[in-house]
Amino acid sequence: MIAIRTVFILCITLASLRAQELKLPPSLDRLAVKATEVVDVTLDANLLQLASRFLSDKNPDDAQVKKVIAGLKGIFVRSFEFEKAGEYSESDVASLRTQLHTPAWSRIVGVRSMKSSESSEVFVKTEGGKIGGLAILVTEPKQLTIVSIEGAIDPDQLNELGGHFGIPKIESDSKRKDNGNRKDQ
Amino acid sequence: MEDFEQQLRNALGRKQQPPTFEAKVFAAVAAQRSSRSVFWRWATEVAAVVVIASGFWMGYQHEIQQRAGEAAKARLEIALKITVTELSKIQKTVRTSTEEE
Repeated sequence: MIAIRTVFILCITLASLRAQELKLPPSLDRLAVKATEVVDVTLDANLLQLASRFLSDKNPDDAQVKKVIAGLKGIFVRSFEFEKAGEYSESDVASLRTQLHTPAWSRIVGVRSMKSSESSEVFVKTEGGKIGGLAILVTEPKQLTIVSIEGAIDPDQLNELGGHFGIPKIESDSKRKDNGNRKDQ
Repeated sequence: MEDFEQQLRNALGRKQQPPTFEAKVFAAVAAQRSSRSVFWRWATEVAAVVVIASGFWMGYQHEIQQRAGEAAKARLEIALKITVTELSKIQKTVRTSTEEE
């Protein structure tokens, strides 16, 4: 009896954990037909593990990426570029926004430009005081980008990837300050 | 009594084997040896085929694994590139708007 109860509780716990994972709306697949450029990357835990095996510890770039992806359960990227504006609507991302507006997720950055009708949002999922997921939603008139990263992720480590592994270099705040000071002198 | 002794002597006495007996024994031994060698030849051939086939299979699996791994690595590169690029764009926009304020 105790065993059955334990299994039942375990199933409910697993189901609730599964429910916290971000589900990309199926309407996104329809957008692929209209888009001029589509990026569709799905890397689940198995594929991440496989990719990790092909990252060399001797290569500093590979080692850094390996460190970043070590705690990840999945990376999902959907990016659509359209020829003209209005090819996708807010309803296409509505279900995604609904999922992101649950207590598990917190919006850490929200940028909206009325002039260019661009909106960028960054959400993080916290689990036991640690970041357990990251989501980026960027909507532009002719472009829609959704990034969902499942698992323990450190945004600072992501920033450090700039300039390595074919990723463009990002100017960090400290470097900016240094440059600013030099210009002031 | 003499009769009995004679019978006993006849029964226990050395009998001359027929001339074909020796040939029969040699033929039986040769047949047994030949069937054993056929079995071992057959087993060796099967083992060789199994070893070669499993070698090919392992090579094929390694090749598939290699390709899947390279593809996963390439996909990871694209995913991270997009993620970091988008984050840097957002960071830049936030910075610009903060500086303007």
